[in-house]
Amino acid sequence: MATQQVEAGAAGHGAEPRGKRGEDGQATYLIAIAEALWEEMERDDRVFMLGEDIGVYGGAFKVTEGFIDRFGPERVMDTPIAEETIVGMSVGAAMEGLRPVAEFQYADFMSSGFDEITTVLSRYHYRAGVPLPVVLRGPSGGGVRASSFHSINPEPWYAYAGGIKIMCPAFPSDAKGLLKSAIRDDNPSLFLEHKWIYRRIKEQVSEDPELLVPIGSADVKREGSDVSIITYGAMVHKALEAADALARRGISAEIVDLRTVYPLDEETILRSIEKTSRALVLYESYRFLGIGTEVAAVIAEKAFEHLDAPVVRLAPPNVPVPFSPPLEDAFLPQIADIEAAVDRLAGW
Amino acid sequence: MATKVEPDAAASGRPLPDDRLTEILYFLKLARYFDERMEALYRQGRLPGAIYSGRGQEGTHVGVAYALEPEDSLFPTHRDLTAQLTKGLDLNRVMAQFWGRIDGYLRGRDGNSHIGDWYGHRTYAVMSHLPIAYPVACGAALAYQRAGSGHIAMAICGDGATSNGRWHEALNTSAVFRLPVVWVVNNNQFAYSTPNAKEFAVPTIAERGAAYGIPGIRVDGTDVLEVYGVAREAVERARRGDGPTLIEAVSLRWRGHAGHDPAKYVPRELLEHYMLSKDPVKNFEQYLKDQGVVTDEDVAEIQARVEREFEEGHEYALASPFPEPGDVTKGWWVEDGYWVGEPGRGGGTEAS
Repeated sequence: MATQQVEAGAAGHGAEPRGKRGEDGQATYLIAIAEALWEEMERDDRVFMLGEDIGVYGGAFKVTEGFIDRFGPERVMDTPIAEETIVGMSVGAAMEGLRPVAEFQYADFMSSGFDEITTVLSRYHYRAGVPLPVVLRGPSGGGVRASSFHSINPEPWYAYAGGIKIMCPAFPSDAKGLLKSAIRDDNPSLFLEHKWIYRRIKEQVSEDPELLVPIGSADVKREGSDVSIITYGAMVHKALEAADALARRGISAEIVDLRTVYPLDEETILRSIEKTSRALVLYESYRFLGIGTEVAAVIAEKAFEHLDAPVVRLAPPNVPVPFSPPLEDAFLPQIADIEAAVDRLAGW
Repeated sequence: MATKVEPDAAASGRPLPDDRLTEILYFLKLARYFDERMEALYRQGRLPGAIYSGRGQEGTHVGVAYALEPEDSLFPTHRDLTAQLTKGLDLNRVMAQFWGRIDGYLRGRDGNSHIGDWYGHRTYAVMSHLPIAYPVACGAALAYQRAGSGHIAMAICGDGATSNGRWHEALNTSAVFRLPVVWVVNNNQFAYSTPNAKEFAVPTIAERGAAYGIPGIRVDGTDVLEVYGVAREAVERARRGDGPTLIEAVSLRWRGHAGHDPAKYVPRELLEHYMLSKDPVKNFEQYLKDQGVVTDEDVAEIQARVEREFEEGHEYALASPFPEPGDVTKGWWVEDGYWVGEPGRGGGTEAS
């Protein structure tokens, strides 16, 4: 894996500029996302962005810094703080042939536009046959001491609405390729950028503007034979670290990165279970009815005969993301928790 | 309130040419007859689902929709079916929708007046969470503004929906960007059972326009020509690039919120006053007779046409097949192709 850890920037609030790739050509997750947006804006003038403080200010995390100078205020549109209207306006613009990409300062605030997302955006094509190529993107996830209103993983709420493709990439290349696919897709998409990853993870990212990552396809990030860890988002990086530790103890873990959480790539998940016969489902949305609940159900229903152990889930409890570092650390699955869960599975 | 006069009709002193005035009478009478007959069928248990009567408010519905050009878009509510019919929706397909048939505009995916025909007539498929379409109308208007097309968007909601946050968000946003949009509030004086006095503390809805920096105009919603004149002016203003207008059209909902509601909360004297003195259909018919635009014979002919079209629509609906149960999941994603063959579909987005 060409990925390496880099020095963490600030948790957010735009403390650092977007910056460029390093001289070695490596791009952080944040830069890869900015490149995807830039290239798609260059490619298709129907694509435009709207959101709060994305223009002159460059966005809460500086993803869109510099865009207004290149594309102008009409295509990098600062809006009033009106999330229902940001979503609704995206729908109306898409109905008239534009391809809006709406930024939320934090994915938490998507719930301020909940009705327009779950009632209009998710259902309109099924009801009335009008494609809505809308992308809603925003930073999700915890681990950066941002507390309850700046740390959530909202993907289950919107997966339940249906009709919206939901991506939670873990790596810069996947983020870039998936965001480009989402912008080109005629269906609505929710693109969740894990803020813990933004400036921590970088890798070589293709400069080919036509390199897309298909939506709805998982990827095996590490081959293994004893146990499958099915995960996504920032948890992929914790799983990779845990897998190194497990390998030193002679346990071979395979890591399946879902990349897209809806629709789910059942085939890749089941193929891994057939190989390892043990499943740890690791996810950062809530344990009860989180994304992993569905993954565990799919495995139980469709791979029962391949299992040597019950499916194990590891996920945060259904409480608000707490602030105090010991509390947040207890809330989020940690590397030691992953190792312990794998040990339990290996004991069968 | 002065009604805008079209140049070619000016000589007569009437605001529109006679054939167009007669057409307005046709839409009013169609609306009234449709509303009464559908209620009868509903009460007889011959119509599945729900009905939302627009009786007493036809002046608003026909007046605002008649001010639109075919390329302008309309974002209505469940109560505004008459506005969609005025925009040109085919009665046969409308009725097929009420009976859940495949030839309905939404292919049985939705029923009753939760209807729309985006590609054919630029009307948005109604949703219940009012005013859920207000922000969406901002987006369509934004697209017209960007394209410099001169088209405009019009959205309708009731007095009840003005209490919702989205109403204020959308008005504010449209004003900030000077979007080519016309906001219509069909103030029928009751939000389901809640009267205006318990909905808002300002004397009128129209004056709320000032809070957003846009004109707000209050108009008698039972007078179709007055509504048309105000709507036409607002439409032209939007088309010129001078931004949104808020129109409050006041009438009274003669029937309940939906077919099941006897509306006993409406004071009897108020209802009688509106039904006797402010009937939008009868009053306009009388006006056209007084002006010599139509004769009793002409009116009888329009009535016969309306009744014939209703019967044809009813027969068409009952003859149309139900959707295939096996298609229940189709149309979830664009790529499954379910909607591609929809008549009138074109424009909009393309598959990449």
